[in-house]
Amino acid sequence: MILHLRRESRMYATFGFVAICILVLPLIIDSIWVKVLTSAAIFTLAAYGVSLLYSHLGLVNLSQVALVGAGGWIMLRLNYAADFPFEVNLLISAVITAFIGMVLALPAIRMKGLYLALITLMIAGGFQIILSAIQFPNGGSGFFGVALQSPGEMRRPVIAESDTAYLRYSIVIVVFGIMLAAAHKFSRPGRAWAMIRKSEANAMAAGVNVTFYKLWCFTLSGFLAGTAGGLLAGALKILDAKSFPAGESILLFALAIVGGVGHWMGAVIAGFLYRVLPAIFNNIGIDADLSLVIFGAALLHAIMTAPNGIAGQISTLFQAWGRQNK
Amino acid sequence: MFMRYMGLALMLAMGFISYSEEAKAAEPECGLNTGEKATGEPIVVGGINGNAPPGDFSGGTDAAAAYFHCVNDNGGINGRPIKYIVENDQWNPELAAQVATKLVKDDGVVALVGNGSVVSMAVNAKLYKDEDVMAMASACAISDCYENSNIVSSNQGPLPSGIGALKFAVEELGTEHAACIGFNIPNNGGWACDWAGKYMESVGKKSTALLMDPSAVDLNSVYLQALAEGVDTIMLMLPAGPALGILKVAEEQDGGDTFKWISPTPLYDPTIPAALGDYWDNKLYVNIELGPFNSDGPDNQNWIAVMDKYGEKEDRRDTFSQSGYLSAKFFVETLLKMDSAEINRTNVTKAIKGISGLTSDLLCGPYYVGDFDRHMPNHAGRMVVYSENEFKVVRDCYDIDSSYLEPIREQERQLRLIQ
Repeated sequence: MILHLRRESRMYATFGFVAICILVLPLIIDSIWVKVLTSAAIFTLAAYGVSLLYSHLGLVNLSQVALVGAGGWIMLRLNYAADFPFEVNLLISAVITAFIGMVLALPAIRMKGLYLALITLMIAGGFQIILSAIQFPNGGSGFFGVALQSPGEMRRPVIAESDTAYLRYSIVIVVFGIMLAAAHKFSRPGRAWAMIRKSEANAMAAGVNVTFYKLWCFTLSGFLAGTAGGLLAGALKILDAKSFPAGESILLFALAIVGGVGHWMGAVIAGFLYRVLPAIFNNIGIDADLSLVIFGAALLHAIMTAPNGIAGQISTLFQAWGRQNK
Repeated sequence: MFMRYMGLALMLAMGFISYSEEAKAAEPECGLNTGEKATGEPIVVGGINGNAPPGDFSGGTDAAAAYFHCVNDNGGINGRPIKYIVENDQWNPELAAQVATKLVKDDGVVALVGNGSVVSMAVNAKLYKDEDVMAMASACAISDCYENSNIVSSNQGPLPSGIGALKFAVEELGTEHAACIGFNIPNNGGWACDWAGKYMESVGKKSTALLMDPSAVDLNSVYLQALAEGVDTIMLMLPAGPALGILKVAEEQDGGDTFKWISPTPLYDPTIPAALGDYWDNKLYVNIELGPFNSDGPDNQNWIAVMDKYGEKEDRRDTFSQSGYLSAKFFVETLLKMDSAEINRTNVTKAIKGISGLTSDLLCGPYYVGDFDRHMPNHAGRMVVYSENEFKVVRDCYDIDSSYLEPIREQERQLRLIQ
């Protein structure tokens, strides 16, 4: 009964948070913060993908921002190549990015820990070079779609042409993305991941196809990154190779740890820290790079005292508060 | 005795007059020039620059800020001061979109003045059009800046300045095959080097574009690439920092005489001679988009005076600074013709689009805006050579030959600026 009530109150809190984000926030904030929060929401989805791999399988993926770039590239290319609705382009971008994530994971999956992290970081470096060389499509012809001209028109969803509507739209997509990933927890893949996390040998002995389920998780993480990339292309309408350096993937992973892996709130905190904190500094005339110092300190704090991140601490706080009021 | 006193008095008088002349020359003239501070309701104006590696384009907004400060100390816009808000996009598209949205939507600027950025114009061109706000830019470097109805820049950009440098090189230095070294940004290095190539083709010469990643600039490899291509001329289509880096690489490998060295305007910067040294004497030719820094022209002298009195110590004083001064001056002149009570975005946009035939000693031709889908009022420049620790003019005002300018010349015909 108590467990049921707890779950119910948690569900209400989640719905309340999402409702405030969708209905109230866009009405009360200035235009600049609409843009900033759109970016934060988009990177929440990417951070959730990283968090998923780490929390379920203990795998470190340092190429997530590169995959966001890949998703954005595909989205722009589809936008200029065909007249499909935004949603169709977004889905195709997410599926192709998921496939890319899966292919890249094939050789990497044989490794663990530091070696896997290094391999994924090298993949991110490779993406950075490729994106710099081929550039993002801007309405030109040919496979790469790059013309030596000003970029063409990047379409947004019919129902979300304005920045405010696009923020709401992005939040809804992010919620769907997180729900899709969370649904895995309570199904066969979630159980398989839990077994693999405890012991790969035991999982194998129990008949779990370890490679398949690891690939599944990588693919899902890539799907979320691809969706984030597609949304980012719609938000900015133009993407630049400089925006997806390999180092950003390390930062996103670190912030996912700070936010708290394995919990949607952790990804929200990671997205907030990743995009909102530097914007606050910029807005008040402080060098945004100062946020890196704060992120470093926050990471140290998370590693030393808060293994479940800020989300874990908030959760503990609410539980303690609930016990007091019982 | 009387004659001696008369002579002394005459000398003193002459000295006083010449001192007064000097003092007068050093005093800036801005707007109404009343000497009284403006105290009315502020007119909000914005500016965006890109100041982060690999380039600093803050000269335009620095100079515009200095000029507006001077205008506010001299009666403002018929009593109303200008509140100038400057943002730095740090070469980041996301940040560029955010700061432009803040200025245009949240701060409600009537116009943007002095803008200089490689990424901002591409990201925000549509926003300016949708919100019907004009950007009187000063340090544009991408195609979006020149192919938009709501952006007009007083600097030429890499396309005319690069072709101007090539034209000089072909006609005076005997260039047969030029390398265009730029950033691999489609609407910047790709665009400018592509049109430079078309120009070379039109005069029966060759051109090779060598484009590098702006986030991982490898100057040695691009220099070696130019060597491998067998070019006789290198054009540095880059911001001052990386361009200077390539010159240093060439100097280390004694490549000063291996190639003819030309550049569009970014290398025309007062701090460059100190960095170049004697090695580059009479080897480096730069196309300048505005007037020479040592010109006696009234606008050039006033720019110096404004920067001396109202600029910050660390402000850049390059071509883009001259350009920022000019944009700000033309903007203020336009506002002064308006009823100060009716200064709002719609009226200011209309007034800016009505600008035609303004002149300055800093420009080789008239400045105009007009209600057109693209703008490039400044496309004629001068050529200087680095010699004896300074830049000396080797060719005065000359225009470029490029089919890119066909729609621009049509605009000039419509405004009766040319026949």
